[in-house]
Amino acid sequence: MAILKTENLTRLFGGLAAVNHVNMEFRENEILGIIGPNGAGKTTFINVIAGIYLPTEGKIFFNGQDISELQAHKRCRLGIGRTFQLVRPLQGLSLHENVMVGSLFGKGLSQREARKKAEELCEFLGLSDITRDITRMTALEIKKMEIAHALATQPKLLFLDEVMAGLNSDETMEMIDLVRKIHSQGVTIGIVEHVMRVIRELTDRVVVLDWGEVIAEGPYAEVSNDPRVITAYLGEEA
Amino acid sequence: MRNLRYLLYIAILIVLLTLPIYTGVYLLNVMDMILIYLALALSWDMLVRSGQISFGMAGLFGVGGYAAALLHLNAGVNPIFSIVLGGLAAGVLAWLIGMAVLQLRGMYFAIVTLALAEIFRLIVRNLPDLTGGPEGTVLPSSIFAGNSTKTYWLVLTVAAVSVMASEIFRRTRIHFALTSIRNDEIVAKSSGIDVFKYLVFIFVITSAIQGIAGGAYAHIYGFVSPEGSFSVDFTLLPIAMALLGGMHSTWGPVVGALLLGVASEFLKLKIPYGHLLVYGLIIVITILFFPQGIVGTIGQKLKKTHTA
Amino acid sequence: MNVFGKLKQSNYQIAIISVILAIILAAWKPHVLVEGIQRACLYAVIALPMALILGIVGIINLAHGDFMMLGAYFAYFLNVYTGMDPLVAIFPALLAFFLIGIATYRAIIKYVLGAPELNQLLLTFGLAMVMEQLANLLWTSRPIKLPLKYVSASATFGSFTFGTFEFVYIGAAIIVLTGLLLFLKRTSTGQAALAVGQNPRGAKLVGIHVDRTYLLIFSLSIALVGAIGAIFMTRHSIFPLVGAPFTMKSFCLIAMAGIGNLTGILWCSLILGLAENFVLSFRGYAGWADLLFFALIVLVIMIRSRQRQVK
Repeated sequence: MAILKTENLTRLFGGLAAVNHVNMEFRENEILGIIGPNGAGKTTFINVIAGIYLPTEGKIFFNGQDISELQAHKRCRLGIGRTFQLVRPLQGLSLHENVMVGSLFGKGLSQREARKKAEELCEFLGLSDITRDITRMTALEIKKMEIAHALATQPKLLFLDEVMAGLNSDETMEMIDLVRKIHSQGVTIGIVEHVMRVIRELTDRVVVLDWGEVIAEGPYAEVSNDPRVITAYLGEEA
Repeated sequence: MRNLRYLLYIAILIVLLTLPIYTGVYLLNVMDMILIYLALALSWDMLVRSGQISFGMAGLFGVGGYAAALLHLNAGVNPIFSIVLGGLAAGVLAWLIGMAVLQLRGMYFAIVTLALAEIFRLIVRNLPDLTGGPEGTVLPSSIFAGNSTKTYWLVLTVAAVSVMASEIFRRTRIHFALTSIRNDEIVAKSSGIDVFKYLVFIFVITSAIQGIAGGAYAHIYGFVSPEGSFSVDFTLLPIAMALLGGMHSTWGPVVGALLLGVASEFLKLKIPYGHLLVYGLIIVITILFFPQGIVGTIGQKLKKTHTA
Repeated sequence: MNVFGKLKQSNYQIAIISVILAIILAAWKPHVLVEGIQRACLYAVIALPMALILGIVGIINLAHGDFMMLGAYFAYFLNVYTGMDPLVAIFPALLAFFLIGIATYRAIIKYVLGAPELNQLLLTFGLAMVMEQLANLLWTSRPIKLPLKYVSASATFGSFTFGTFEFVYIGAAIIVLTGLLLFLKRTSTGQAALAVGQNPRGAKLVGIHVDRTYLLIFSLSIALVGAIGAIFMTRHSIFPLVGAPFTMKSFCLIAMAGIGNLTGILWCSLILGLAENFVLSFRGYAGWADLLFFALIVLVIMIRSRQRQVK
């Protein structure tokens, strides 16, 4: 059963097609990897799904409902969550408060409920003994806070945009476990990554984007041997 | 600790309420102006918390003043009720403008607000039959027949309303929404916040407060005029106060209003024509050297000593 | 290529509108046409330097009109103390205000470039207030004017007369516009400035000295607007607040034309100049003419607001 389906999804910026006639399906409760060389349009794709950009052409269906023209905050409330590549914690709010924002508005909880939920999520992600100012947190902690923030909106479909970037080997393993934990709670996950090890270990299926188009689809083992994919990443043989 | 704070607040409130008992008319009049500016400074700050700046306070202040004065004069509306209606008029106007313009933010919105004061002033100026034209309109009498104690309590109420509004904005989820929007609208949107709706809401509420302040001012001085009611004073001074005291807080604008309010009394005596210059300088110097304002800078210093 | 296509389209549309308006006016109220064009060029020549700063340095200078006011007073005092004709005073004004621009940038503007837009708006707002109030203190709000003979030169064409001195504005607008376009597109400094305007970080990476570019562009803009003040002084009476409305009007023009579209500013100012003069030509509506600009700026921003909604 498809939780998210895109039909011919296209997004133009001027003359450039950042997302080019993409037909993609997210099956319920799967972990789908989205890979592709830099500039392939992965983050733009997420932005279009999340509602930051409206599609120029094509449609998006979430649980059967056409959300192509729906405003971003309404998509969030329907259950689409995402993290951001360049993490920007909200200044002026504490760690818990940052997470609370998701619960307050993504889910409409009261302040007390949101605070409790934020504490639960921080514990779930291993963030509970942090009393420092958010400006003093490590990269890993901030990334976890990002994820907690997204989880606070109780998404049914969660996009993780390069969460592994900048993590060392141990931290990456920790993050992989975390993603598995989140998945076990029933969340469908779309994960954009450059670190292939993560894709190999976590995903059921992989979609490869290049120049905004889907050039390959399937389990990682197949896709990683596809000549088109190799060309996209490494370039043509001389 | 918390009990001590509540006691302090109650003490301050009592002092403020009973001020007329032991101070003279002059001081009460000074307090009147300070409190009106305080309301304006707070309302400006509340909008700033969302990341938007308004340079149009004088416009909404004047609209409220004219609405209150004209309703009282031409429709016989009770003065206090007319002040409330003045606030309503300003709020409705803000709603219309906000709905039309708030998809654009930052400098576009700021410039539109800058234009607002001028537009309203010119409209009022050019409709002499309705508004008395360039000379303005005089009200038959000041509110409460000029009784300075009752006038003071009126203004105190207006200021109290703005303080309450500011605190509500700090303690409810509105605080979270504003801070998120101010930091990063895209993140805010992705968290489920309807950014546009919140911005219009804030703009309407703060404009309504400005309208109420304008209505009170009109009734206290018994006079509205294009130059007087839409004077740049009502934009410049509150901004200087909020900046000096410290943005993004309730105490900041309050401290700024008290400091600058008292200072401006002195300035008016010493340099009768230079006081606006001083406010401009304060804005420039504050932005350059301590954008956090007094309360903000003290707050930061305290934080540093705690986490050392 | 497509982006340029669209740009040209909107310029064409605006140009066509203004030409149609011009033809209608030529038949109906010819002096509105002539005076409208003259006034339009005044607006354009003031708006162009502001557009320069906005497009390249990226900040909006709310004190822009007040620098023009200072330029006007500068020319006035130069005339009073040395008898120099204000039109000649353009040259010392250019120099003086270039230096003033450098000083302002170094002392003040530089510090808020990295700060949030709020701070920049507030700073230039405060600066504008300071300049206006300082002028008020020093020179009082009494309007002053130079009794120059040549400004009342006029010509008669058939049945209507119009001032010929104001053609200076048209000349100034064309000179400034072509000068800026040549500078930005043909000189290496200008092209570097364009690059900085589009992508400051990228420009820095290829070795362009970003801070120096900002300094140059900012000072150039102030120099231009100060010199324009000298021209302005010849024909108008000046007072401390004379410059403020021009800040608003300049921004209105920039918002209409779109940031970075210098030629568009000329066309937009044509439409506005003609419209303003048109309203003025009806007796009794003089007060409303001023409103036109302000109402227009709200309208323009509303339209852009709607456009933005399509994300």
